[in-house]
Amino acid sequence: MKSQVKIYLTAFKNALATRMAYRIDLFVSAFIMLVFELIIPLVTYLIYSSGAGFPGWKFHEVFLIQAVFLLSKGITFPFFAGIVWNTITQIREGTYDLLLIKPRNILFMTLLTGIDIEDLGKLLGGIAVFIFAVSQVPDPGALNWVAFILLFVCSVIVFMSFAFIMAASGFKWVGNFRVYEIFEALTSFAMYPMSIFSKGVQILITACIPLALMGFFPASLILGKPLDWLLISLVSCVFFLVFSIFFWYRMLRSYTSAGG
Amino acid sequence: MAFVTYKEWAAYRSHMLISLFVGPVQFLVQVFIWRAVYTNQTVLNGLTLEQMITYYAVVTIIHYLVMDFAAWNLHMLIRTGRFVTYMIRPLSHRFFALSQKVGHRALGFVWEFIPVYCMFFFLFQLTLIPAHAGWALCSILLGFMMHFFLNYCIGIMGFWLIRAEGVRRMIMIFSMLFEGVFIPLVFFPLAVQKVLFFLPFQFATYVPIRVFIGSYELAGMSFELPHIIAIQAAAVVVMFFVSQLLWRLGVKKFTGVGT
Repeated sequence: MKSQVKIYLTAFKNALATRMAYRIDLFVSAFIMLVFELIIPLVTYLIYSSGAGFPGWKFHEVFLIQAVFLLSKGITFPFFAGIVWNTITQIREGTYDLLLIKPRNILFMTLLTGIDIEDLGKLLGGIAVFIFAVSQVPDPGALNWVAFILLFVCSVIVFMSFAFIMAASGFKWVGNFRVYEIFEALTSFAMYPMSIFSKGVQILITACIPLALMGFFPASLILGKPLDWLLISLVSCVFFLVFSIFFWYRMLRSYTSAGG
Repeated sequence: MAFVTYKEWAAYRSHMLISLFVGPVQFLVQVFIWRAVYTNQTVLNGLTLEQMITYYAVVTIIHYLVMDFAAWNLHMLIRTGRFVTYMIRPLSHRFFALSQKVGHRALGFVWEFIPVYCMFFFLFQLTLIPAHAGWALCSILLGFMMHFFLNYCIGIMGFWLIRAEGVRRMIMIFSMLFEGVFIPLVFFPLAVQKVLFFLPFQFATYVPIRVFIGSYELAGMSFELPHIIAIQAAAVVVMFFVSQLLWRLGVKKFTGVGT
C-alpha cells in the first residue's frame, strides 16, 4: 500500500510537470473546466431569478445539491476519471500493451497514467461552490457532518464506478470518446431534487443506478430533508462498484492488439 | 469532398448512434425540470410550458444539423504542421472545411436527426413541425453557416497560439451558453440580453429555434420572422468577412517545416 501511494505521488508529479510545459494552456483549461461546471448552477439561478423554481425547494437548497455533485466530480476527475480518456486513447493507438507488461496491477497502472491535471479546475470550482453553498444553510451539527462524509464517499464511489465502466467500454468500442456524453446525460438526473422526477425515474436513480447519491442524498442530509430510498441507494452503490470493477476486468479479457 | 467525408465518417456510425441515447435522455431531464418549474405558472419570460418543451426538443434536433468541428480540426492541423499540405492545394481551406461539414452533417441528418425526430414523435408525442417551414429552413441554413464561420474564426486563433485547446474550449462553452443551448436567452437579465443581441452567437442557434417556434423575442424586442432572418443573414455576411480578415492576418503567422 505504501509503495502504491509512493508510485501514485510520483505519477502525479510527472503529470503535473508534463502539463506545466504549456502553462497558459493549462491555466486556461483548468479555468474553463471550472466555468463549464458552473453552467448548470447558473441555469438554475436564472430560473429562480425569473421568479420560478422547483416546488418545495429554495435556490440555495438546489444549489447545495449541485455543489455536492461538483465537489465529488472535482475529486474524482483529476485523480481517477482520466482512466477513461487514457484507456480509450492507448487502446486506439496500440500503446496499451506497454501497461500490460508492467509489474503492477493493471487497473492501478491504468489509473496512474490517467491523472488529469487540468481537471484540478473542477476540484477548485467544486470546493469554492461547496463552501459558498454550505454557508447559505444552517449548520446541520457534528453528527450529520460525519454522516455527510460517509455519503460523500459513496458519491465519489459512484463517480469512480462510472469511470471504470466507461473506460472498460473502450476495450470493445475502440476510439469512442462519446461515452463521456452518455455519462453527462445520465448524471443530469443527479443535479436536481429527486421530487421533480416521476416515480419510475426515482426508482431508477436510487435502486438501479445510484445517481441520487451523487448529490441529492448528501445535500438532503445537510438540509435535514427526508432521505427516502437512501438504504436501497447505498446497497445499490456497493453493487455498482463491484459490477464496474468486474466489468472492467471482463472487458480487459476481450482486449486485442497487434503490438504497440 | 462532402461525399468523401460522408463515407469516411460512415465507418463510425455506431459512434453517432450514441446521439439516439444522449439527446432524448437530456431532453427528458429538461421535460422534468420545466414541468416542475411551471407547476405554479403558465407563462415564464413569454414562453408557455409547451413552447419551452418544444424549445429544448428543437435545440436537440437542430444541433444535429448545425454542429461543427472546424475549430478543432483547424487547430489540430496547425499544431501538428499538417496544415502546410493545405497551403499548396488549389482550393481554399475554408471551402474544404465547409465541404467536410456538409458531408459530416449529411451523415448526422441520416443517423441522428431522423431517428431522434422519430423518437420525439413516437415516444414523447411531440409534433415538431415549424410554424413557417420556409422561414425555418432559411434560418437553419443561415445558422449552419453562422456556426461554421464562428468555429472557423476560433480555429484561426491557432495561428497565434501554439496550444489553443483551452481557449478554444472556453469560447465554445460561452458560445453555447450565449446561443441559448442551455436556457432560452430571454432568461438572462435585460442588460445581458441587449449585449447578446449584438453578438453573433444568437444567430447560430437561438434565432433558428425561435423561428422554428414561430416567434422571436430578445432584449424586449420582437421581430417578424422575415425581419429577424434578414438580420441573421446580415450577421452571417459580417462573419464571413471577419473570418476572411482573420484568415489573412493569421496565415501570415503560419510556419511549417514540411510533413
